Amino acid sequence: MDLLYWFIPWEESVVVVAATGVAAILFSRGCARSQPQLRQKVYFWMGLAFLYLVSHTQFDYYSEHQFFIHRLQHLVLHHLGPFLIILSSPLSILLLGMPRKGRHLCRLAVRWKPLQYLAYVLCNPIVAVILFSGLIGFWLLPSIHFTAMIDWRLYRLMNWSMLINGLIFWGLVLNPGPVFSTHLSPGTRIAMMLAVIPPQIVLGAMIFFASRELYPIYTICGRAIGGLSAIGDQQIGGIILWIHGAMMSVVGILIVVRKELMPQRLLTKRQAS
Amino acid sequence: MRERVIEMWNFELRRCILKLIMALVISGCVPEKPWHVEEVTGHLPDLDFSLTSDSERLVTAKTYKGYILLLYFGFTNCEAECPISMARLSRVVQLLGDNADRTRILFVTLDPAHDNPEVLRRYVAQFDPEHAIGLTGTTGDIQNLTKRYRAAYRSRSKIDKTNDITHGDAVYIFDSQGQARLLATSGDSDENLAEDIRRLLRDSHPLR
Repeated sequence: MDLLYWFIPWEESVVVVAATGVAAILFSRGCARSQPQLRQKVYFWMGLAFLYLVSHTQFDYYSEHQFFIHRLQHLVLHHLGPFLIILSSPLSILLLGMPRKGRHLCRLAVRWKPLQYLAYVLCNPIVAVILFSGLIGFWLLPSIHFTAMIDWRLYRLMNWSMLINGLIFWGLVLNPGPVFSTHLSPGTRIAMMLAVIPPQIVLGAMIFFASRELYPIYTICGRAIGGLSAIGDQQIGGIILWIHGAMMSVVGILIVVRKELMPQRLLTKRQAS
Repeated sequence: MRERVIEMWNFELRRCILKLIMALVISGCVPEKPWHVEEVTGHLPDLDFSLTSDSERLVTAKTYKGYILLLYFGFTNCEAECPISMARLSRVVQLLGDNADRTRILFVTLDPAHDNPEVLRRYVAQFDPEHAIGLTGTTGDIQNLTKRYRAAYRSRSKIDKTNDITHGDAVYIFDSQGQARLLATSGDSDENLAEDIRRLLRDSHPLR
């Protein structure tokens, strides 16, 4: 009973339930029609479960009322969740899971000019890096953060924008194949992951070393965890952004290097084929 | 044909951008005087609740329509923030002079198991028997209200019982129509808060 209580959504969102449900159904149907590797299934379900748990359970209450837990939530929404989902290369599986009409619609959408232009812009490495780091910085501007934490519509927009941006960025840098006809070399993709590290370190350090309270909204509306001072809460949040955010890039770089740049592995692959 | 469409589209786009720039310029040229405390108009929902008042009557947001409302969450056993905030709010209401009667302080308890209407009545009477009203209800009703205004609170029964109730120091200020307008904190001075409330009173229609 007590354990179940933690899974009750703090604030119900139809969109979160629908998006998670649709993704789960499409993926399981796709899995039934193709034989993906176990690794892919594990990554996908872990990613989806993490995303759901941080956004649609009692965890959300703590993210609303404790800065460092808010940072943890964003670490999952912007980094870990999308990272795991992209690692599972889910696109072909999800497409297979769609009914025929859905697949047809997707094919039409991909050919739709405005969408192609949008994808062309978003897939530009510089734009992707700026958007990825800029979005973190934007929602952490004290005045913007204040409003986002009191206005539930902005709060949801913030979380959704982080997730979608995370999916785009990690989709671009971890995916070896072309994305929307944009082909990025492994070197470019590694450079992109390196480029987002300094902004996160600078932001994290600025928050960590700030001597005054940057985000008073948590004091005004009350902190979920008693006994932790405002500055202490802020410092833990800063450390999470500083170290963990940048750490994900290192993991990503290692994956790209191992998958695509290790000559031995390429050779054995070629021999096997 | 295609070129014409693109041309028209470009024209429309340019007009939109021009309008946007003009709007920005105009809004920048005629600055509205900023409030002393944080303005939250449009960001927080309108007041809506159904609770029991300290005179043991069932009251809703409609009961207090026409008054400027100062909403504060606390509990009577609170030793630190609540008495300080309540004393301060009653001082602010005194500063309003004749307008004090058009203002009400709503003290919503976060400890409904202990704070029954009688306890609340005695508590708020220490600060301002005329303008302060204690409100209580079921934990569910109170949690809905705190959730609505993003105040940290989880009903005691579900978490560690020995935990003290943690709460913020926000004072939510509503205009006479029940619209959330300002968010004051303990950092704002009494005079500034009173001045902002006077401005709200001027903007709203006189009572009845």
